Amino acid sequence: MESQREPVIEFLDVVKRFGQIAAVDHVTFTVGAGETVSLLGPSGCGKTTTLRLISGFEEPDAGVIEIAGESMIGKRPYERNVGLLFQHYALFPHMTVAENVAYGLKHRGWPKADIPGRVKEMLRLVQLEGFDTRRPGQMSGGQQQRVALARVLATKPKLVLLDEPLSALDAKLREELRLELKQILTTVGSTTIVVTHDQDEAMSLADRIIVMNRGHIEQQGSPDEIYMRPRSAFVAAFIGRGNWFQGRILNALGNGLCCLITEAGTKLAIRHPAAAGGTWSICIRPERIAVAGPDTTVADLGDNLLSGRVVDVVNMGAEFHYVIEGPEGRVIVVEPNRAGPRVRSGDQVCLLFRAEDCIVLPKETT
Amino acid sequence: MTGRALDNGFRLIGLLMMGLIICFLIIPIVVTAIMAFDARAYLGPLPPPAFSFRWFKQFLSDDYFLKGLGTSIQLACVSVTVSLCVGVATAFAVDRVSFAGKEALISLFLSPLIVPPVVTGFALLLFLSHLGLIDGFARLLCGHIIITVPYTIRATLAGVSGIDRSLTEAALILGATERRAFWDVTFPLARTGIVSGGIFAFAVSMDDVSVSIMLTDAKTYTLPIALISSMRANFDLSIAAASVMLMLLTLALIFILEKSVGLNRAIGQGVFR
Repeated sequence: MESQREPVIEFLDVVKRFGQIAAVDHVTFTVGAGETVSLLGPSGCGKTTTLRLISGFEEPDAGVIEIAGESMIGKRPYERNVGLLFQHYALFPHMTVAENVAYGLKHRGWPKADIPGRVKEMLRLVQLEGFDTRRPGQMSGGQQQRVALARVLATKPKLVLLDEPLSALDAKLREELRLELKQILTTVGSTTIVVTHDQDEAMSLADRIIVMNRGHIEQQGSPDEIYMRPRSAFVAAFIGRGNWFQGRILNALGNGLCCLITEAGTKLAIRHPAAAGGTWSICIRPERIAVAGPDTTVADLGDNLLSGRVVDVVNMGAEFHYVIEGPEGRVIVVEPNRAGPRVRSGDQVCLLFRAEDCIVLPKETT
Repeated sequence: MTGRALDNGFRLIGLLMMGLIICFLIIPIVVTAIMAFDARAYLGPLPPPAFSFRWFKQFLSDDYFLKGLGTSIQLACVSVTVSLCVGVATAFAVDRVSFAGKEALISLFLSPLIVPPVVTGFALLLFLSHLGLIDGFARLLCGHIIITVPYTIRATLAGVSGIDRSLTEAALILGATERRAFWDVTFPLARTGIVSGGIFAFAVSMDDVSVSIMLTDAKTYTLPIALISSMRANFDLSIAAASVMLMLLTLALIFILEKSVGLNRAIGQGVFR
């Protein structure tokens, strides 16, 4: 999927090798003006190398990197109009907050008279007014991250890169700052690339997610597409939880539905155009399965029905995780906590889910 | 005996050891400081019956000592300056590039710490007389630079290698050239390491006997050499007075250091956290 908007960065068929290993292997994507795109993948997938190629700390072996139509090949980092938020903030410990924020302005040639005003404005934006004379060492992690953000955004870079922006913070703070970060990025209207291994961060911040694996792009699309229409088992497994079945297609059922028989012998209706034969992986998101217990009923959700016994109910506060043992092995179902758990450990239950919610993926050999 | 009792026993032994070591370090200094103020004209037992400044007066009126002190201070200042320049440049260079044999090279730079100073001094004496360099001060300067350089290299290296690489990268991406990033970020952050290296180098130079004794001549000698030769001739307490004054000098230096860069940082790794 390509962006409709005017591209700020074009990253075309880029290759970067370290020795024999291609860290970035013919990767192509563009990011449009004002768009927030997330590079998501496990460590070693090439997302950090991509980031370093864009910022100029690494030079590509092949390919095109253009920012606002200008080739960046051979350009030093300070010759590119790119802002980078470092994972561990990288604030200058010997400078005050104001000096840190002013650093880029000074070196990007802002008029001296405008700098104090701009610094004030940026500190207001990140809600750190009055912290001008503090040193980074005297601030909390969240505050340091805000200073770093102010420093990045101060010079109005064409492209803002965020490297695992929230991963150094604890869970609670991360959630708060994530909302705030999104708001700030929207206010400023910057074009942003967020590099992260954290799916929540990617899903919540980005308009579009690029999933990377082993140096190449697995899939790019909106968070919704990535989550509900993953194109490979890797993407489906990396983003969100899933219940997996392996099986073989028996026959077509009409209406675009097929009948699949699992390894354990259960027949499932799935939405798939393929003809009979071939083995497939089926992934069902845990919140797309309804549980019907002995004393409870659910609205008919189901093309498919499995039975099993509840072996564990995990209270996560906002939701319950039911672990159900059935002929297909363990199935996990997530249900919002509306009025306490609806089933108990030991209950015999039915699991209902629709054919549409079975994500059908080619079976991966690895 | 229970594990708990054993633990307590070991803790007690540890505390005792610590106390002993502190006594071992402090008592000679205290004795020297007391004896320096001894009013007696001869070396008598502790404690002295009366106190006076006679040994200080004697030390300060002795041209032989004063000349040694002058040479020592000059020598320390010049050799520390040179070895700071050499050491800082070396440490920065070694830190920036990585190549095969880097560790070996660093070990080579630090080798004067391992080679016995007497050997260094003797080798230098032979080498310099082959070169025809017979000026006493120049010879001492060569020796002192060699023995102080490892300290400045090591301390600077400790300071500079503690600097997160991403700080330099942050400066670059914010628009600073590499030269600018060096002066704005790397150098100031390595400064405590550099200063502590300089202090150690100064102390080593002021204190050195083994190398200096080889390179000294009749006209140019350092204070430690002067103290040793006068001790051989007639043992009196002006040496104790000299020690007290050297200690005061060190204390003054530490005080200045504390006020300017913070003692803990300078004496420690010199790493900016």
